[in-house]
Parts: sequence; structure tokens; C-alpha cells
Amino acid sequence: MNGGPIKRWMFMRQHQWTAARLSEYLDGELSQRDEERVEQHTGMCPECSRVLATLRRTLRELIGLHDEPLPSVADGVIERLRRSW
Amino acid sequence: MRRHADRVYAVVLRFGAPGGEAEEIVQETFVRAWHAIGGFKGESQFFTWLYRIAINETKRHMTRRGTQLERVAADDTPLAEVGDPAPSPQLRAEHGELRAALERAVRALPMDYRIPLVLRDIEGLSTAQAATVMQLGESAFKSRLHRARLAVREAMEDYLDVEETP
Repeated sequence: MNGGPIKRWMFMRQHQWTAARLSEYLDGELSQRDEERVEQHTGMCPECSRVLATLRRTLRELIGLHDEPLPSVADGVIERLRRSW
Repeated sequence: MRRHADRVYAVVLRFGAPGGEAEEIVQETFVRAWHAIGGFKGESQFFTWLYRIAINETKRHMTRRGTQLERVAADDTPLAEVGDPAPSPQLRAEHGELRAALERAVRALPMDYRIPLVLRDIEGLSTAQAATVMQLGESAFKSRLHRARLAVREAMEDYLDVEETP
């Protein structure tokens, strides 16, 4: 990051603010203004850009776990539940 | 019944209960739900209500047994292999190393971080629903979820293609 101390300080403030909101950004839970703020910072910060890209990929894989075949409860357990319900 | 029971079983396993104990927890969850069904007001979806009971039962079960529901050993059985002690080489290949590593990363999270991630990202609840299930404010819930995702991301970094664009 080039620039004087004030620019560096402002950059670090944006960096911390953005890093704390990457999940909300991916979940579409930020206001349009805050979304733009995240995009502006990630566009100029290689670290945040990389974290965002890998977080997006992690999230995609986590969501994919929902579609994994479910392990089955033993038939005996189901029978006992049917009797008790 | 089978579909609901299997869903709760998968969730309880992901919360960190070992396979055999998870079946007991499923039974206790449904029995407790049956006794409390009169208190279900329909303000939340049935399954959201069931999740709440499953979390309580998991914690109760582990406390009773003196089991620490914290980090599960990293070499614990991936969920995809529970109930199938000898998955075929083909099945292993299909699921892939990445999915197995992902399951391990989730199970390595402390319980307070694992539950938000399981509910929101794997079970697909909305932030509001998952926060309600956990009896947390949305802000506190989001904070735990973000930390959990960052921890999994860090554990998975070697498996992820960082060159990928959005």
C-alpha cells in the first residue's frame, strides 16, 4: 500500500471493516451502499480479494454438503419411534 | 418419519455426536418433541422447532455422559461414511478428498461455532431462522457464523482454487 500515513490508516480502517463483513456480503445481507464499499476495497486489496474468493468457494462446498446422501438411522430406531408416536 | 429422522440424525452427527450416541439422541429428540407437541404454536416451521430440541438433546446427552462437545478428533469418521463402514473405492472417489476434508474441518470447530455453520450453510436455514433456533440475536449469530466460515476456509485453503474468479 503506497501513500502517506493518513492514506495507510484509512486503508487499514477499510480493510478491517471489510474483513468483518465478507460473510454478510456473500449472503446478500448488506445494504447496497455497504456492498459497494466491500467491492471497492476488495478491488484494491489483494488479501481481502483472496479471502473473499476462497470464502465464496468454501461456502459453495458447504452448501453442497446438504445434498450428500444422508446416513440412515437403524430400522429398529424408526420402529420404536413409530410405536411411541 | 424416516425422512425426518434421517435429517435429524445427519444434523446431530454434524453437531459432533458419535454415531451410536447420535441414534439415541434422535430417539430422545422425537420423544421429547412428541411430549411437547402441544407447545408447538406453528410460529416456526416444524423442522426449525425440531432443530432446537435436537440441539438441547445433544447438549444434554453429552453433559450426562461427561463428554466434551468440543473439537472432534480430526481423524473422526466423515459423515459420508457413517452407516457405511466400507465405502467402495468408487464412492470415495465420487465424494472426493475435498468433501472429506470439509467434513473434518466442520467437525473440528468448537460447538458454539459448528452449530451456526451447520444450521445456516449446510441445513440452509435463513439467518433469522438459525439465530432463533440458537436463541441468539442476529448480530451475535452472524459474528459466530463468520468466524466459523473463516476457520473452515483456513483449514481448506490448500484444497481451494484461489485463482477462481466469482
